[in-house]
Amino acid sequence: MKKHLVGKTLLFVFFTIICAIILVPFYAITIGAFKPGKELVRQGLNLSFDLSVMSFDNFAFLFTGDHAYFTWFFNSLLLTVVQVVFTLLVSATVAYGFSAYEFKGKNFLFICVLLIMMVPFEILLLPLYTLTFNLGMMNSYSAIILPGIANAATIFFFRQYLRGIPKEIIAAGRVDGANEYSIYIRLILPIMKPSFAAMAILNGMNSWNNILWPFMVISDAGKYTLPIGLKTLLTPYGNNYDLLIVGSFFSILPILALFLAFQKYFIDGMTAGAVKG
Amino acid sequence: MKKKWVIVMLVAALAVWLTGCGKSNSGGEKSVIDGGAGEGATELSYWTFVELHGQHFETMLKKWNEANPERQIKLNVTVMPYDDMHNKLLIAVQTGEGAPDIADIELGKFPNFLAGTPQLEPLNDVVEPYKDTIVPSRLDLYSKDGTNYGLPTHVGATVAFYNTEILEEAGVDYKEIVTWDDYKKAGIQVYEKTGKFMGTADTSATWQSGMMLAQQGSDFVDDSITPQVDSEQLIKGLNILKDLQASNVISTIAGGQPDTEEAYGEYNAGNYASAMMPLWFMSRFTNYMPDLAGKIAIAPLPVIEKGMPRSLGGGGTGTVVTKTAKDVQLAKDFLAFAKLSLDANVEIWNTLGFDPVNKEVWANKEVTHNPENKFVKYFQNNPFDVLNEMQDEIMLIKSTSASPTINNILCTIALNEIFEDGKDVAEALKSAQAQIVQELK
Amino acid sequence: MIKKFLYSQKVAPYVFVLPFIAVFAIFWAYPLASSVEMSFQHTMLGQEAEWIGFDNYTKLMSDGVFLKAVTNSVVYMALTLVILIPLPMLFAVLINNKFMWGREFFKSTFFFPALTSVVVAGTIFRLMFGEMEGSLINSFLGLFGIEPVKFLKGQVTGFVALLALASWRWIGVNMLYFLSGLKSIPDEYYEAASIDGASSFQKFTMITMPLLKPTTVYVVTISIYAGLAMFIESMMLWNGNNSPKNIGLTIVGYLYRQGIEKNDLGYAAAVGIVLLLIAMIINITQLIFTGTFKKED
Repeated sequence: MKKHLVGKTLLFVFFTIICAIILVPFYAITIGAFKPGKELVRQGLNLSFDLSVMSFDNFAFLFTGDHAYFTWFFNSLLLTVVQVVFTLLVSATVAYGFSAYEFKGKNFLFICVLLIMMVPFEILLLPLYTLTFNLGMMNSYSAIILPGIANAATIFFFRQYLRGIPKEIIAAGRVDGANEYSIYIRLILPIMKPSFAAMAILNGMNSWNNILWPFMVISDAGKYTLPIGLKTLLTPYGNNYDLLIVGSFFSILPILALFLAFQKYFIDGMTAGAVKG
Repeated sequence: MKKKWVIVMLVAALAVWLTGCGKSNSGGEKSVIDGGAGEGATELSYWTFVELHGQHFETMLKKWNEANPERQIKLNVTVMPYDDMHNKLLIAVQTGEGAPDIADIELGKFPNFLAGTPQLEPLNDVVEPYKDTIVPSRLDLYSKDGTNYGLPTHVGATVAFYNTEILEEAGVDYKEIVTWDDYKKAGIQVYEKTGKFMGTADTSATWQSGMMLAQQGSDFVDDSITPQVDSEQLIKGLNILKDLQASNVISTIAGGQPDTEEAYGEYNAGNYASAMMPLWFMSRFTNYMPDLAGKIAIAPLPVIEKGMPRSLGGGGTGTVVTKTAKDVQLAKDFLAFAKLSLDANVEIWNTLGFDPVNKEVWANKEVTHNPENKFVKYFQNNPFDVLNEMQDEIMLIKSTSASPTINNILCTIALNEIFEDGKDVAEALKSAQAQIVQELK
Repeated sequence: MIKKFLYSQKVAPYVFVLPFIAVFAIFWAYPLASSVEMSFQHTMLGQEAEWIGFDNYTKLMSDGVFLKAVTNSVVYMALTLVILIPLPMLFAVLINNKFMWGREFFKSTFFFPALTSVVVAGTIFRLMFGEMEGSLINSFLGLFGIEPVKFLKGQVTGFVALLALASWRWIGVNMLYFLSGLKSIPDEYYEAASIDGASSFQKFTMITMPLLKPTTVYVVTISIYAGLAMFIESMMLWNGNNSPKNIGLTIVGYLYRQGIEKNDLGYAAAVGIVLLLIAMIINITQLIFTGTFKKED
């Protein structure tokens, strides 16, 4: 018994230390959000909790100042929600097609899914850029949403998940006279719910934080997303830390709230899909 | 289940709260400046990578709309990240789609826009009325074959900024520094007495390299515009700096050059006693180094031999009108008004703290010595006194199609090798030259 | 008639996977094909392309900066594998231990960093790894009497910063993957092993490791992808695509520099094709080596 207690304590201490290290940057940015930008330039980002220079000024500026932060914020919010909804629905549908049927070309198509997962999207940046340009989709959110709408990793995940669903359900549905599509919509989609939560968070996270591609296709300031907007604050002519740090701090909050609320679904969902290769 | 409700509430609360804020914060989307323009105003779009430039245009727009009721303008300003703006602008002007009417282009990127047939409007006609009052070399920077495509914002005369507090502590008088030898002697004294460095050895900018070349009447390119970074003059110049580094007079600085936020911190903390930078560096002092107010003096640069020119123009932003502009003439006229007129240049000094290109401003004591001006207040002596004293010595480093490559190789590789790794100057420059030739092939 | 056709069991699967076929064709196969085409051309946006055969590729082979970028990317990828596979696996096993206090709390905390965007995380790390005495890491080293280090100016120290950033962001995610893998291992295996008198270490090597293999293969695959495609991390850490002596330049960074910054699309496309080949070779070798293909039915 005693041996266990020692082990337990050691384990706990070990993880506490690691967690502390992981939390240091968060602590630094939280403290930084309360310090004026000039202070950051002068002292660097550090852990000193110096009340004499700390104030709510940055937050006041964030909420009342003359800047576009909340435009970016809402753009990101909108884009993330739309992107997640579309990506999940489309990817789930595709995954269902892969798991419920045997059809000609299935293996080839599934290899294509795996291929996409293995090949860096970045190599397609330039042709995609010219393609977007030629299609006249520059500066539109559809240029961001469409290429990722049938997301390979998400399809892969859903397919794994669907493997665990008994085929009898589909057969039973057919016996009842339901057509192929209503079987999917009425019977299968409800069962997939837990996996949706997990993928929603994973895709939502990627979308909320996505920068490289949106950054290339969006040049209208009114359409900037949060990461692009925050990046505009970094210039060779001086970085706007007053807004950058507090804005970064604030940008973490919504996704953190979502995660904390849904983390059970998230972890359960990942477990349910149990990546089996 | 309970948790689900909590989150729904949270999101709802967040949404309500944010919408509330969004309303009080209508300024967020204010990218169109009307400047008091009425109904029939033409809307022009303007891209920049410096928010402050937008503010300058806002001031000038009001004046323009008042003075030209028949040709009023609304300005749609887009501020983009530095690299991103230049990349997008280049593609936009080359494809002829999506370009703004007016745009800022930084000097280092300007040659990319002059390659081949420039897709920018010639500005010679609108420059003409101001020609006599403008520092001519600043227009040359944004010209190709005699045609001008961009209007300058400032001269950027390079000067020495001295921290007199440190110098006094070491018993040094900056006014007696004329040559690099004087500078070295003073620096050794400073290091011995205070343990602080006299100046910086820059690794991520070519201000110092350019300065050394200009003093010897040389350049990064030869007369036929072929890159020659392994020239005798540059080797000599950098060896002078290297000798200063070896004697603990100068040292590399966090960030690689004075104009970085890390370096502002170092200066503000009083770790370096001088900076050799263009005059626009004044605004960095007032913005980022508040602790040094009243301690900084401005002086001409030290030179290799007495009698050599003591300054050169550094940096800059050229504002252009694109070929696809909605109303080319209107855009050009407004641009000249907003950047070259006396009014505009007074404004550039007052709000941006730059040394304006219109020399009439330099002589106008009322403007330049205005005791309320924050730059006048901050520095020990008046920058325009120094400027006027050396106005015929402000040299020019050419901006050519090879400049971006030359800069890139020097700033990422050669200068690092020389001042961080201690590599031999001639050797480092020789391999830099080879690489530049290879990249330009 | 059309309705009947669409509703038949033969056609339905194609309707289901149609979006994927469309996206694959338009946004993947076509761009890839045009990328291959472009790599044999001298082409700039808005100008006529010109066929130049293998010129781009021969130029690449003698381009020192490109080789530097390839080395950086491959080394970065290898190091992330060395760090981001064993550690998360170990953490997952430990945290899954029934003697663990506050498991949920630790799981969440480990995952937090993944929620921050690269822009935010990169900026924080850039400031933390600043070369001044007062910046976070250096002030910590100062406690042990170590002189301030110019992290972002040296090859090794620069990679330390890059890897710290990667580890911070991905350790929790990978740990969750392993945790979900662990959940699928039946407890009976461990009970049986205990009855046979196996030690904890033996249980780990004989049961946990082999049964975690599918998860490991998956994590390795996505890590190879992420490692080779890294770009924004470097861009944020060095506040731009230019690092001293190109110590932080990656393949994608070079592609971006040539294609977007210099508008030399053909050359950039060739860079992309080389990256594609490297990624395919490494991943396929890995999958063959781990025997994954055999199991695929």
